Amino acid sequence: MRCANGLIDQFWAQTRNGITLGAIYAMIAIGYTMVYGVLQLINFAHSEVFMVATVVSLYAFRDWYGVTEPLTGGTLLLVLLITLIPAMIASGLTAVAIERLAYRPLRRRRAPRLSFLISAIGASLSIQYLFNLMDGNHSLLFIPLPNVLGAAPQEIPDVVSSKPLFSIFGTPWNGQQLLVIAVAVLMMIILDLLVRRTKLGRGIRAVAQDPETASLMGVSIDRIIVVTFLIGGAMAGAAGVLYSVRFHFTQWNIGFLPGIKAFTAAVLGGIGNIRGAMLGGLLLGMVEAYGVACTAPQWADVISFGVLVAVLMFRPTGILGERGVA
Amino acid sequence: MAGTAPGLKAVRGSIRRWIDGHRPWSTLLLYGALLVLAVILPLLPSWFALPTWFERIVSGSALGRVALFALFALGLNVVVGFAGLLDLGYVAFWAIGAYAAAIGTGAARFSLDYRSGRAVGVAAPGWHMWMWLLLAGAIFIAVIAGVLLGSPTLRLRGDYLAIVTLGFGEIVRLTANNLDTVTGGPQGITSIPHPAIHVASVNIVWGVLTDVKYYWLLLFFVVLWAVAISALNRSRIGRAWVAIREDEVAAAAMGVPVIRMKLAAFAIGACTAGVAGVIYAEQVNFINPPTFDILQSILILSMVVIGGMGSIPGAILGASVVVLLPELFREFDEYRFLVFGVALVVVMAFRPQGLWPSKRRALELKGGLAEEMLRGKEETVGSESA
Repeated sequence: MRCANGLIDQFWAQTRNGITLGAIYAMIAIGYTMVYGVLQLINFAHSEVFMVATVVSLYAFRDWYGVTEPLTGGTLLLVLLITLIPAMIASGLTAVAIERLAYRPLRRRRAPRLSFLISAIGASLSIQYLFNLMDGNHSLLFIPLPNVLGAAPQEIPDVVSSKPLFSIFGTPWNGQQLLVIAVAVLMMIILDLLVRRTKLGRGIRAVAQDPETASLMGVSIDRIIVVTFLIGGAMAGAAGVLYSVRFHFTQWNIGFLPGIKAFTAAVLGGIGNIRGAMLGGLLLGMVEAYGVACTAPQWADVISFGVLVAVLMFRPTGILGERGVA
Repeated sequence: MAGTAPGLKAVRGSIRRWIDGHRPWSTLLLYGALLVLAVILPLLPSWFALPTWFERIVSGSALGRVALFALFALGLNVVVGFAGLLDLGYVAFWAIGAYAAAIGTGAARFSLDYRSGRAVGVAAPGWHMWMWLLLAGAIFIAVIAGVLLGSPTLRLRGDYLAIVTLGFGEIVRLTANNLDTVTGGPQGITSIPHPAIHVASVNIVWGVLTDVKYYWLLLFFVVLWAVAISALNRSRIGRAWVAIREDEVAAAAMGVPVIRMKLAAFAIGACTAGVAGVIYAEQVNFINPPTFDILQSILILSMVVIGGMGSIPGAILGASVVVLLPELFREFDEYRFLVFGVALVVVMAFRPQGLWPSKRRALELKGGLAEEMLRGKEETVGSESA
């Protein structure tokens, strides 16, 4: 009863929350799905790629631009643009570094799958704790670590006003929510075009479909793998900026929950399938939001994990089916 | 092993030849000596004057933690090392065992009534026997949980399994956190009684956390488990695990009941964590959800990996290294997750067989098994060409 009442009362508000959250999940999910497409592996360290971008946003908003009150108009656009670019670069490079250090040595040796998973877990843990320790009071091998983040959560200033702009069905929408959706849609369109229309995209799809034949046709597999990590990382980077705009904080382990949920989204849509990841993200965001309306906010994560377990058990190929990156 | 001095290599070679020539007595002797050493370890400071760093690592609390995590590592080693299934939610079974103990002993708020008095073996006669029955009960509950989680998910690919178990671990923790009527929620459950034995004239009462008797109790289980698991590993079940690890399809074609064997590994892993969980709860006498977070699962995984996947002495060694390093270097404590994270990557890249490898697993983990077997064993174990 409580569930039905909650759903009816909060339907439109939760739809709004679900779409916003889902857009962020979708963008992170793209990274999982693309890497899966070319390597058939889950990049467990992808959540840290996302975390790096939230840290860049923290610095961009708080220190570089010294944002104290929400921005508007041209300034806002400019600040967002020149935050997105370094954040995406930082995330992309983090993803490439993970590939270099944690995956490539194992790929060269044709190690068993288990080794890749363990190596990725190790990479994820070390990146998290590297940021945890970078508070200016620790040093590593006698080299002092800079003060970057530390163990405590850091507040990110509001860049976009949270004042309601307009309302649909009596539910107010604010600029943050609109911005998240607008940027996410834009990024996903660009990515879709990149993968489907360009030569690079054809290379990625070729490697996903059949790496051996692709390499015989002159596609450099190593290069494609690096580019895939880079693009997937950049998308997670953009997601990190949007997350910061929407949730205004960052922490060394902030990537864990969005990461695992984005993975759920990727599986939900059909892993290896980019459009599937977008759909899965949106769907998972909605399910989580309605689930919260139905129960209570502290069950949100349990609901997502439940969805994950259920999808893997009943339809492990996802909604749109598994494919090579397409 | 490229940098080993030639002299050292010769010494090592002659020791190895002696051991190889005198099996199984030499192995038995080695393990016997290690066991005796392990038993008397906490007594050493009272017999000899020892440097403080050594006293620190043989203290009741440090050794208790080593033995506790050795038990966890042994259990996870069956899952990860023997069956080749990556379980990232292993902590869930620990939590289930611990909560089973806490609720079963009546320390939880709702079960307080059925027990008169809190002091063990004092208030209600025969009460202390309940603690040991609980151990069996917790094994049962953990195995049920393992089978419930395992039977639908073990059909999945390895990486999916990893993430489902990760999710399961979080679900258990979050549920413990949210279900406050049963688990006490974030406040946890306090004053879980310590175990005791009163049989005829034998009276053993376990005291506070640092009591060295916990170490012996846990050591007993570690030895019991190590013997049982190594017997299992040499049995038909063990051979089935090898077959599954190397080629699941081929194993199924040869008539190995793949799912059932994976489930067996999962259940054994779960019951080990259940036992350790009960003893943990009774030792620390306070449990709350944050103890059972994902990091513990990864920490236990790093013990198995650093020690050597598929190696029983390796699991124990791995647990000792991972627990004692922060104990030895206090400043190291903050860095441990960073260091063990890096260790996972480095071990996988350069020494996938771990510190104390099992011979057959070492060959598999180095990859390209068939080719290297053809080229000869000496060459593959010795050379590190990539």
